[in-house]
Amino acid sequence: MANKTIALEIKRQSSPDAPAVWEKFELPWRPGMNVISAMMEIAANPVTADGQPTTPITYDSNCLEEICGSCAMRINGKARMACSALIDNLEQPIRIEPLSKFPLVRDLQVDRSVLFENLKRVKAWVPIDGTYDLGSGPRIFPQVQEVNYPLSNCISCTCCMEVCPQFNEDTGFVGAATIAQVKLFNNNPTGKVFKEERLRALAGDGGVQECGYAQNCVEACPKQIPLTNAISDVSRDVLIQKAKDFLRG
Amino acid sequence: MATAQHPSTPSVRTGVQPLRAGQGTSFLWRKLHSLLGIIPIGAFLIEHLLSNYEALKGPAAYGAQVRFLNSLPLVRVLEWVFIFLPILYHGLYGLYIWMRGKSNLVYYPWAGNWMYTAQRYTGLIAILYIGQHVLRQRFMGISLPENPGAAFAKVQHELANPWMLAVYIIAMIAICWHFAYGIWLFAAKWGITPGAAARKRFGYVCAALGFALAVMGLVSIWAFVGPKYKNTPDIVPLAAVAVTASPVLSAPPAAVISAAV
Repeated sequence: MANKTIALEIKRQSSPDAPAVWEKFELPWRPGMNVISAMMEIAANPVTADGQPTTPITYDSNCLEEICGSCAMRINGKARMACSALIDNLEQPIRIEPLSKFPLVRDLQVDRSVLFENLKRVKAWVPIDGTYDLGSGPRIFPQVQEVNYPLSNCISCTCCMEVCPQFNEDTGFVGAATIAQVKLFNNNPTGKVFKEERLRALAGDGGVQECGYAQNCVEACPKQIPLTNAISDVSRDVLIQKAKDFLRG
Repeated sequence: MATAQHPSTPSVRTGVQPLRAGQGTSFLWRKLHSLLGIIPIGAFLIEHLLSNYEALKGPAAYGAQVRFLNSLPLVRVLEWVFIFLPILYHGLYGLYIWMRGKSNLVYYPWAGNWMYTAQRYTGLIAILYIGQHVLRQRFMGISLPENPGAAFAKVQHELANPWMLAVYIIAMIAICWHFAYGIWLFAAKWGITPGAAARKRFGYVCAALGFALAVMGLVSIWAFVGPKYKNTPDIVPLAAVAVTASPVLSAPPAAVISAAV
């Protein structure tokens, strides 16, 4: 059997201010390879296709089963999880770039803390801390669970934000993931306590109104979260909240 | 950033800024933009296309329709408050929205992304077209509020230029597209159709409406350029129309009679 190889082109940048360069790699093919395992091979033998020694590639990854959300990057132009990007399904040479809308740290590693910041600003949690035992929470009906479960699948990978034409420095749009989490926590019988605050937060600049409904988020989401449905529902709730505030104010 | 700094250390943020929770007024302006597109602009578009359709009945019927519209109470106030100013705001704010979006259709050529982009280009066509249309048909040439009988010929002369005819046809299709998809977007973004299946069904409704409006508009254009009413006199006497929309108006203005004679 001839030694089958695979070709990768990876965009590299040694620091946030350093110039970006493309490096080519050629690796022996193995069955079931994915983009992360290919980069592990490079780390084991960091030599480019033309024989030049280089450094291992920097990237975020953890679980390698599309559940931690770390390894989002642009593969052949499209934002997706590298661990579930099987080499056999990709057109070669496989071009790998960091996400374009987040501050670059190094190589394929970017700083996605804006999502964490956004989640904090909409209070995307259920408040259960207290100085005494609060007891068990209220029951959640199965019908509500059915709605909430898909939303709870969010892995904070930021693919929905990367592919969104409205998520950029001019709009400062909050992005689909945070909006979906607002729906999730507003649906929770205990999380509901912050419902009004969450909705008011999302009416701020960069809030839900910036959505242009290009629907790229729902196409790109690796967890098939019904993001456009969530945006629609939350938009209505925000509007009603603002109307109530106006009339009661 | 993956460095060993204390989580509370303030860092200089680069990249997209986080949500300005509860701050600013963009929510109001954006929702106003969205609402104005339906009411009054969309409602006016339907009215306009229905009025245009009167042209199929001939120059006199078309002139009578123009006269009826100009007989509405406070018509100049209506015109500015419900037509000119909303369109101006919708158009300018729409451009502002476009400027701040970063199209990525090249990388993500998905249907929704195409529509997102098409909504921006059709909007641009609409602004440019409406600008020249209002200027040339409303504020230049013979004044139609005073001479409604001149309406048919004025449009006919305009469409006699094949370039202008092409502009009208393109703009008609673009504007009907923009309105139809605009209704769909409105329903999606105001939470009227939060379900994927509902959005799909409503998509068919909007497509049918947009198609019907565009066909109506194009048929009306045909009334002006087709052979049936060729060489319409510059001003037609409106008294010839037996049925008028308002009994008050059954006597045509003296100016029109004298001009027609």
